[in-house]
Amino acid sequence: MEEIQLVRLAQQGSEDAFEALVTKYQPKVFSMAMSFTRNREVADDVAQDVFLKAYLALPKFHAKSEFGTWLYRIAVNHIKDVLRKKGRAREIPLDEVREIAADDGSAERAEMEKEAAVRRDLVHKFVASLPEKYRVIITLRDIQGMPYDEIAAILHLSPGTVDSRLHRARKMLRARLAPYFSREGGSDEM
Amino acid sequence: MKCKSIETWILRSLDGRLDERSRALLGKHLESCPACRRLEAEYRSIAGALRDERQAAPLPGFWERLSPRLREERKVAPLILWERWCLRAIPVFLTLVVFAAALFVLTPQATEMTPSEALLLQNTSPLTETRALFEEQRPEARNMMLIFASADDNFGSRRQRP
Repeated sequence: MEEIQLVRLAQQGSEDAFEALVTKYQPKVFSMAMSFTRNREVADDVAQDVFLKAYLALPKFHAKSEFGTWLYRIAVNHIKDVLRKKGRAREIPLDEVREIAADDGSAERAEMEKEAAVRRDLVHKFVASLPEKYRVIITLRDIQGMPYDEIAAILHLSPGTVDSRLHRARKMLRARLAPYFSREGGSDEM
Repeated sequence: MKCKSIETWILRSLDGRLDERSRALLGKHLESCPACRRLEAEYRSIAGALRDERQAAPLPGFWERLSPRLREERKVAPLILWERWCLRAIPVFLTLVVFAAALFVLTPQATEMTPSEALLLQNTSPLTETRALFEEQRPEARNMMLIFASADDNFGSRRQRP
């Protein structure tokens, strides 16, 4: 059955049709929530709330955009709310970076996997410290790998704005990581 | 190619949005410029770390946990709608009450007529009874008339005293 038919049936109250939509989109919504929260239980709660909101808002869906785009928009807005409630994004002090970096030093002697995990954590901590609009766009593009036009549709932005905002977000992230890069002595790998 | 504009090219290249010719030019520049090569390595490292996010599997039983919540919301939704309408109705009702009260206060009220005014409205002279009293020749009858008039005054049925 085509997606639009499933949506129409779900709008008419079919639980089976909505279940089919949930099954299709749950991995992506969960993954998106996971990218922002980095906690499996919290991401699961967020995904549940997103589908609940989507279910209640189904009568307002008029198929002006793809169902997936509409759902991801609900997801992004809900995640923003959750993050705002959790607390404003904070700047990461250099001391904290050095603390992570110290772990990195021991990781050099340990397995490559541990080192990669430390690197990931460091970068994600800095992503989390970015202003919300930059954090959202860098998560959708660089973590979720969404295409530009889909990001533009989800965030109600022009592709040009997506491009420029993403450019600024990446520059900002690199600038914040610069002290760490220089501490590493200009090596090509972090 | 200038180092100033290289950052945009590097980011586009990492995004796979740089055409063949531009990519070749970028490669050539990177070969000859250590600072830009380092910049490119930093961006590549960040992009790698972001992409390298290990995808945790969703918790099992997602739909089994979601469907009871949907059913619950379906029951609650009409009540919430009703509550919302009630909440909207309260200020409307209060506005109507205030408006009605303002109308009541500002509209001039019909004043009560004095007995003299009532008599004048009936085209009857209020001095008729007084004239009859003065025209009465018999003193006992005049006294009786005065007593009755006084009694009427006490019951407030006649016009008010000045």
